[in-house]
Amino acid sequence: MYVYDQFDHALVRERNAEFSDQVARRLSGELSEDQFKPLRLMNGLYLQLHAYMLRIAIPYGVLSSVQMRRFAHIARTYDRDFGHFTTRQNLQFNWIKLADTPKILEELAEVEMHAMQTSGNCIRNTTTDQFAGAAKDELDDPRPWAELIRQWSTIHPEFTFLPRKFKIAITGATKDRAAIRVHDIGLHLTPKGFDVYVGGGMGRTPHLGHLIKSGVPGEKLLSYLEACLRVYNRYGRRDNIYKARIKILVSALGPDEYARQVEEEWAQLDQAAIDAPYYEIDRIRTFFPDPAYADKAFDAAALDRAKAADPGFARWVRNNTHPHKRDDHVSVTISTKPVGLPPGDASSAQMDVMADVADSFAYSELRVAHDQNIILPHVAKADLYDLYQQLDRVNLSTANAKKITDIIACPGLDYCSLANARSIPLSQEISKKFSDANLTDEIGELEIKISGCINACGHHHVGHIGILGVDKQGIEVYQIMLGGRADEKAALGVITGKGLSAEAVPGALERVVRLYLQLRTSPAERFIDVVERLGRETFAEALHEPA
Amino acid sequence: MKLLTANRLTDGLVLWYSGSGWVEDAALAARLEDDAAEALKAEWVARETEVVAPYLIPVTDAGDPVQREHVREFVRANGPTIGQTTFDTAKQFNRDEVF
Amino acid sequence: MWLSVWAVKLLQRRFMSQLNSSATPTLIAKDGTRILDGWALLNDEDVVGADGPYVLGFERALNELPGLNGKYGVRINPGDDIRALSPYMEKIALVEVNFPGYRDGRGYSTARILRSDLNYQGEIRAVGDVLRDQLFLMLRCGFNEFLLKDADPEGAIKAATDRFENAYQSATDARQPIWALRKQLAGA
Repeated sequence: MYVYDQFDHALVRERNAEFSDQVARRLSGELSEDQFKPLRLMNGLYLQLHAYMLRIAIPYGVLSSVQMRRFAHIARTYDRDFGHFTTRQNLQFNWIKLADTPKILEELAEVEMHAMQTSGNCIRNTTTDQFAGAAKDELDDPRPWAELIRQWSTIHPEFTFLPRKFKIAITGATKDRAAIRVHDIGLHLTPKGFDVYVGGGMGRTPHLGHLIKSGVPGEKLLSYLEACLRVYNRYGRRDNIYKARIKILVSALGPDEYARQVEEEWAQLDQAAIDAPYYEIDRIRTFFPDPAYADKAFDAAALDRAKAADPGFARWVRNNTHPHKRDDHVSVTISTKPVGLPPGDASSAQMDVMADVADSFAYSELRVAHDQNIILPHVAKADLYDLYQQLDRVNLSTANAKKITDIIACPGLDYCSLANARSIPLSQEISKKFSDANLTDEIGELEIKISGCINACGHHHVGHIGILGVDKQGIEVYQIMLGGRADEKAALGVITGKGLSAEAVPGALERVVRLYLQLRTSPAERFIDVVERLGRETFAEALHEPA
Repeated sequence: MKLLTANRLTDGLVLWYSGSGWVEDAALAARLEDDAAEALKAEWVARETEVVAPYLIPVTDAGDPVQREHVREFVRANGPTIGQTTFDTAKQFNRDEVF
Repeated sequence: MWLSVWAVKLLQRRFMSQLNSSATPTLIAKDGTRILDGWALLNDEDVVGADGPYVLGFERALNELPGLNGKYGVRINPGDDIRALSPYMEKIALVEVNFPGYRDGRGYSTARILRSDLNYQGEIRAVGDVLRDQLFLMLRCGFNEFLLKDADPEGAIKAATDRFENAYQSATDARQPIWALRKQLAGA
């Protein structure tokens, strides 16, 4: 993974000094809260329901065992012993003291981490495929490009006070695991350059991004992005927070007109000054080599024996491993979603174990996936059973990747000051309803995504089943959406049926799932396939208790 | 009647106005007459080196936040309703959940 | 417990922290020297006379600059397209970029377009809600004068100048992007 040089270190140090100065000025009264708020947000510090929350950037979701251990240390020392992995591949701590933040940032800087631009109306952490550099279906590795974008966007002098936040996602595989069409800019890395999708997003008015240009050469990517951002910075709406994202501008202008304006702007930019030349791109690339693969003799018969002897292991191998470009390796999903615990939460003890197993079995590298799970990208098949047993000791062996209990949920009204309803308790009730692992396996791939407000941090618009919590006169009510997906066939879910109480949702989903099992032509036909074949209205009746 | 609440600037923790100052335990929050509550809020909005974002919560005669605010204030007063910190705030003061 | 208005008044203490942005705005150049403002903003009904120099509003500049000789200032608000004035650059000696609220970042693009695309060499002055925490970004985008709300304007300029030695991107200041510095270091 990328390693800081003197320049990266100095910049983070200088930024931390700036933020520490801003904190000191806030504490002394030189800065008002109104003035401080955008400044603290620009460094990931929110005031939530219970306390300050600090969001730490995990650039494109990649982290080392050393960094994971540092998270554990921070959780123990400055917080209540746990952290929360987010849908944007970041980590947040929920009980942070303002006065402690300069020290925490110092501790993070020691391991090449920071909280820059994890909030605020600026360019946020670029996200990517959690299996980047490992997946069998990958054409090119998106990580060097994500790092290039990270550097270009960090403290960008022109784009720090945009109309609204700005999120870029990038994928280099045939299957889109980075949800590029629901990002402000989605980049698809192809052999001919970048396909650029603009204007996707969720929130109050969801949109799928439009392809505005194909084949942008890598060495011109930054200037093209700069042109995209400049048009947005100048013409994006600033009068209404709900209409300020780029999706509204693109849909008001029309994608063709937006593309034309970008083209015009691009032509006027001093591209040579903006674009990092190939020697820099090549330099960054050298940080993302394949690991020095261990040539461990893989005994397929031994793996089969272990699976036969331990059905839980067999299920875990079946569900939580992903094909690797090398036949003797796999990528492993560590589920943060056992029944009874909030999706994405990990205790300091669990973080330490994840760091340890990464050192023992995964070349010290981990990833955070946008579904809030942790990935070990490169694991020798020969090590799977040892790895599984170590994870199992700390409740990290739940075999539910991509299954109905692998629920994405935002923190919701249990933590978030913007939320209208709780998300996590509902996710738990649903996962209890489907706690029979045999049933879960029978149902197959089914993504449930829950948000506690229209900001859609839980990505409900692109869940096969999306759930949106709303407030109806003090009562939490949940709207159900069907048919959304975030992959290469991205589609937005549509509200189906009437809103339900929290108590009614698990039963409603059970009826929907039973109906799906009756309707599917074979186990290979997934829930989303049936919704698309027969229409979501097929399931509308099942959502409501039979009279 | 209203309750006055805010967060402490230095650590962000939830505070309640007790009648003579700020306390962390919602069980000790004072019910304030509407006029007094407004005046107090204005006072504390200006004292922002001590507290952040003070606001008033309308309460019923029984002392519970009225409908719309109920879930939010229940969570603020008692802690998250799920996870590793379930009702942490209530536990900290050795009490049952309030509101 | 109930509290009356009277009791609240009794409890009130006057407590006013020294809000830095409440300082009288100071006009200061990027090298930290204070400057006198020789420019007057013309109201729409005022006639352009001989005793300049004047700052024209954007609409007025668009309408009148074609017929005027000499050097003028123009005031750019966030929605104004600076490129519309590109034919008259030689008549413009000062561009006042107004920040009605400091979270509105359109003025940064205005300054960069002036410096990079229109090759404008005159003064670019930030006015309005100009606070010390924006100065580093403004300096990078090509602003060279600031009507700054700060009790210590010289200190603010110095802090902004010294805060970051280098930057990842090229902008319109003298900093070379870090990728260029890396190349030099590797070649040395």
